[in-house]
This record gives sequence, C-alpha cells and structure tokens, in this order.
Amino acid sequence: MLIQAALPRMAQPAVIGVGIAYFAVIVAISVWAARRTRTASDFFVAGHGIGLVALTVASVSTSVSGFAFIGGPGLIYATGFAAMFIVLPASVTNVMGAWVLAKRMRLLGEARGLMTVPDAIGARYRSPAAQGLSGVAILVGIIGYMATNALAMGVVINAIFGVGIGWGIWLGMSVTLAYSVAGGILAGIYNDVFQGTLMAVASVLVFLFVLDAGGGLGEISRTILASDPKFLGPWGKLTPLAALSFFFVFAMGSLGQPQGVHKYYMLKDPMQLKWYPLLKTLGLVLVLLLYFGVGVSVKAFVLNGRLAPLAAPDQATPALLLNVTPLVLAALVFSGIAAATMSAVNSFINIGAAVVTHDLPIAFGRRVGNELAWGRAATVVIAIIAAVIAQHSGAMVAFLGIFGWGLFASTLVPALAVGLNWEGATRTGALASIATGLVVTLALETSAYFKVFTFPAGVTASAVALVLSLLVFFAVSRLTRSAAVGAIDPDVRLIMEM
Amino acid sequence: MSTTVDEHVRGLHLEHAVAAPEAYSETRTKRVARVALIIATCAIAVAYGSAFLPAGAPAWAPWLLALGIPGALGGIMVLGASRGRGGIGRLAWPFAFVIITLAAGFSVALALPASESASSDLWLGLPLRAAVILYGVGLLPIVVLPVAYALTFDTQTLTAADVERVRQLGNARKELAQ
Repeated sequence: MLIQAALPRMAQPAVIGVGIAYFAVIVAISVWAARRTRTASDFFVAGHGIGLVALTVASVSTSVSGFAFIGGPGLIYATGFAAMFIVLPASVTNVMGAWVLAKRMRLLGEARGLMTVPDAIGARYRSPAAQGLSGVAILVGIIGYMATNALAMGVVINAIFGVGIGWGIWLGMSVTLAYSVAGGILAGIYNDVFQGTLMAVASVLVFLFVLDAGGGLGEISRTILASDPKFLGPWGKLTPLAALSFFFVFAMGSLGQPQGVHKYYMLKDPMQLKWYPLLKTLGLVLVLLLYFGVGVSVKAFVLNGRLAPLAAPDQATPALLLNVTPLVLAALVFSGIAAATMSAVNSFINIGAAVVTHDLPIAFGRRVGNELAWGRAATVVIAIIAAVIAQHSGAMVAFLGIFGWGLFASTLVPALAVGLNWEGATRTGALASIATGLVVTLALETSAYFKVFTFPAGVTASAVALVLSLLVFFAVSRLTRSAAVGAIDPDVRLIMEM
Repeated sequence: MSTTVDEHVRGLHLEHAVAAPEAYSETRTKRVARVALIIATCAIAVAYGSAFLPAGAPAWAPWLLALGIPGALGGIMVLGASRGRGGIGRLAWPFAFVIITLAAGFSVALALPASESASSDLWLGLPLRAAVILYGVGLLPIVVLPVAYALTFDTQTLTAADVERVRQLGNARKELAQ
C-alpha cells in the first residue's frame, strides 16, 4: 500500500500548470528561509521559534505523508472499514502526545537547549549510550521511510509531468534537498505550512465532491451493502484482532514517531501548547476526509459500474480523479500528494542529519565542530542514499518502508514516552528496551519478508516488537530499580514532576 | 557537574526537585497508571500470543485488545498528565469518559451480530457497528479530550511560573558551562 507502481499519466496543461506553480512557491519559501538559517539550532529546531499555527499545520503535514492520499484510500478499497483503524487513533493521539511528551520535551529544550529526540533520552537517563542507540534506531528507520517516500515522490512527479519514475525521484529529491540544505527545518516548516494547507483544501474539496457525486454517504453505503456487506462491517475484510491491532500500533506508536515528537522543541512559547492538540486534531480530521471519502466512494462507484474495477488498490485515488472529479481539482490533489511526500522526506532528512552530526558523536564522547556545516553535508549524503535505494532496490523498498513506523514505536515509546513520565525507569531498562525493539523488529520483519516465517492473521512484527519492548522496559527497570531516581539530573527531575 | 547544578537548583528554591533520591516514592496516581499500563500490555501480549495457537486466535483474543487498548492508552495518558504529587485532578473525568468510550465502542462492535445487509438501518450514513466505531471511537474523544486539555492547561499542565523556573534553571546551567 505504499506508492510504488506507476500511476496513470495526468500530464495535461492544467495539471502541469498547477504543478509548476506549486514548485515555484516551494522555491520562494526556501529562499526566504535560507536567509534566516545561521546556526545549528536554526537548522535543526528552527531556533525554538515557530508559532502555534505554523507548527500545527506543519505537524499535520508531516504526519500524513502520501499514504493518506494514495495508499490509505487504496487500503480501504481493498480491506474495507478495517483500514479506518489506522487513522481513528488520531482522535486521541494528539492530545495524548501533548500530555505525555510535548510539555516535558519543550521544557527540556528550554532548560538545556536540546535539539533531537535522542537528546531527550540522553538527558533523561544521563546516558550517551542510550542517546546513541536510539539515534541508530532512528537512522535505520529513516532509511526505510526516506526510500519509500522518495519512490512515491518519483511516481507522483511522473504522473504530473510525465518525466519517468527515475527522473521523478531525482527531480523531487533535488527540490526537497535544495530547500532542506539551504533552509534546514525552517524551510521545511514553512513549506509544510504551505503543503499542509494545500492538502487540507484538496482533501475537503474531494470529500465534498465525492459525497455529492455518490448521492451522500447513505447512498454510497447502500450501494456497497447490496453487494459486499462485509466491507462496511466494523472490521472490514480483516479479523477483529487485525483491525484492533492497527489501532494499538498506530495509537501507542504515535508517541515514538520522531518526525512528530521532534517538533515539540520548535514551539516559540511553551504556553502555546494549550491549543496545539485541538488545532492539530482538527487539521488531521480535515486532511483525512479524503482517506475515508475516496476509499468508500470508489468502492461504490466500481460496484455500480461508474468506474471500471481497479487493476491495483493504489489506483483508487487516481481513478477517481481522472474519471469523476474536475481536472483542476485533480491537479490540486496531485500537487497535494507531491507536497505530502516532499514534506515527509524533508522532515526525515533533517532528523537523520541531526543523528549523524549530533547524537552519534555525543554517544562516542565527541562534539562536531561546526554542526550547521556538517548538518548540511549529512543532509546531502542521506538524501542521495535514499534516492539511490529508491531507484535500485526494487521490491525491497516496500520492505524498508513497512518497518519504519514499528521500529520507531518499539524503540522510542518505552524509553522516551514512559521514561519521561516515570521516575522508576532506569538507564538499563531504557537500553534493554531500545535494543529489544531494534533487534525484534529487524529480525521479525526480515524473517517475514524472506518468508522464513509467517505471522498468524492479525499479528504484525510492529505490534509484537512494541509489546515486547514495553514489557522488557518495565521488567528490567524493576530489576535495576535501586539505580532509578539517583540517576536523574535535578533539572530533568523538576521537569518530570511538573 | 550534577552536584553543582544541585546547588544552583537549591538557590532557585526548587527544593522538591532535588530531594534526596531515597525520598522519592511513586504517587498513588502514577502507580495505578503504571500498573494499568503493564496489565493492559500483558493482556495485549496474551492476545497476540494466542494467535500462534494451532487453531488460530480464540474468540476471546480480540476482547483482550478491546479492553487492553483503552487501558494502555488511559494508563500512559494519566502518567503524562500527573503533576508532581497532585495527581490528575479534574482530568479524571475526561480520562474516564474516553477510556469507557473506547472500551464500549470496541465491545459493542465485537458483541453485536454481523448483520450488515442492504436492508440495514443506517446511522449517519453507516450501518450500526461501523457507525459506533467511526462516530464513537473516532469522533467522540475529539470533542472531549483536546477541549479538556485546553481548559485545564493553566492549572493542570503548565503555568508561566513553571516556565520561568525552568528558564532560570537553564540560565544557571549556561552560566556554569561558561
């Protein structure tokens, strides 16, 4: 369900025109941001100076990626209502993240000038080793995410401009790289604001259009229920265990996604956190309307003969745009999809560069002299590696993309999300849980990919790794509890008690 | 380094933050939340483990997730919202509402028979079980949780005085580092 296969060609004057206008805005924002990026703090956390609305829209934009526009509706088309369990956790995850992480991470940034997610783990446990190991886990996950998003970018740009997927990858990566290197996360944030707005507008318009075209949600449901009632059962075509497992992994796992968590550092005034969860939740609801609307309406349109059966689930959104919606709306959505993938790539490039130039050197007891210059260099290297992997790894790219979310969840949720809120957590517990998440996720995903091992229905490597790393974290912390509270620095402890 | 920062923290009258390690004891609220999180995680682990049985996941396995997920999410939210020794105060109500809503929503979907058909009654455009999940699990918490967060933010989450204390602490660290 990641965007891998070629989409239908959309290369028509209106689509190309909207696409060019979109890229022109990106360039303008990037030039503006580049002039304001002078330090490593500017480059990695926008100098802790982003306002509430900008941060919220950027965070929504980074959260969804191209999956919300292409893979998600395709997954609904293929599995029915079960695919909603991936996005339903948004009803609780944003506010949960605010209570569990936002305040404490933002205050750690205030007290210590922290810039990265591993920074917070290092500070919490007074452990460069934990900081380094979590950095390694993030880097491994990022390679997968970057490669899949780079490929998705190539597929979408090819659909808009007709340049071929290979050139699409390099064109998209070059634009993203240009603004990532020049303006760092500041360019990323303000491009995300533009891209997130575009995605929300496109999503709402498409949702309203398909509801109208389908005669309303009730009529769409009636059409589906007449031919395929299981599709609109609560678990769709999956088992209850599988659907609920989606909810668990995507709800609890949200607390370990660095592209979202990292943004807490950037808010200018910690007191603005008050409205952050409400605004972000509303923004996500708007962006995800397309996910649900396209998924169910395409199913209904195929069943009533308005659309031909799809060759592959990923064709759901393009088929609808090409055959049902006005061309300008299709152009807007395709620019929105390009925006989503570029936004995700930019965020991951920046986080990966911070791991390479900041976290790993700290783990080895060193500091890089000029973090801004090295950060820019690392950005280029990471982007090129991702583009090369996307272009040459074939089917392997899907494998790389699958474990990203689960790897972040299993390695970061216990040590970071639980650890920042429970003084009884120990350094050994954190190291053990991060190692467990890393090893279990890689071992299970690799075994499953090479068909050495098959999971029973409803069980995924991500879920197993997350559960195991949580249990290991609690068990090892319990066994080493005599070292718990004394190992917390007083300023960190103050923030944990607030 | 740590000892020196300790002294600075004491100078900032933040004594509770540097109480001797042995003085720390987990508050009742946090202990309950942590135990709930552990029990819920164990329940979810058992559900996954049961899927490896030769006959596949038994009928009770999804129920462990249906109850374990709200327990785990509720547990970690309470852990995060607990403030010092003050517990979660008025937030107990929205937390209870959301935990019950999630558990009830999943349970209703599991308990009701699979009777979706062309003649099913529709609830806001969806058959009953899907409507319970989409509007109950997916939308009701949005109405309650972020609003509760905003309304209790100044008393339960963060005050300007908190931020000022942390800033002073950060300045103290910077001075020490120079």
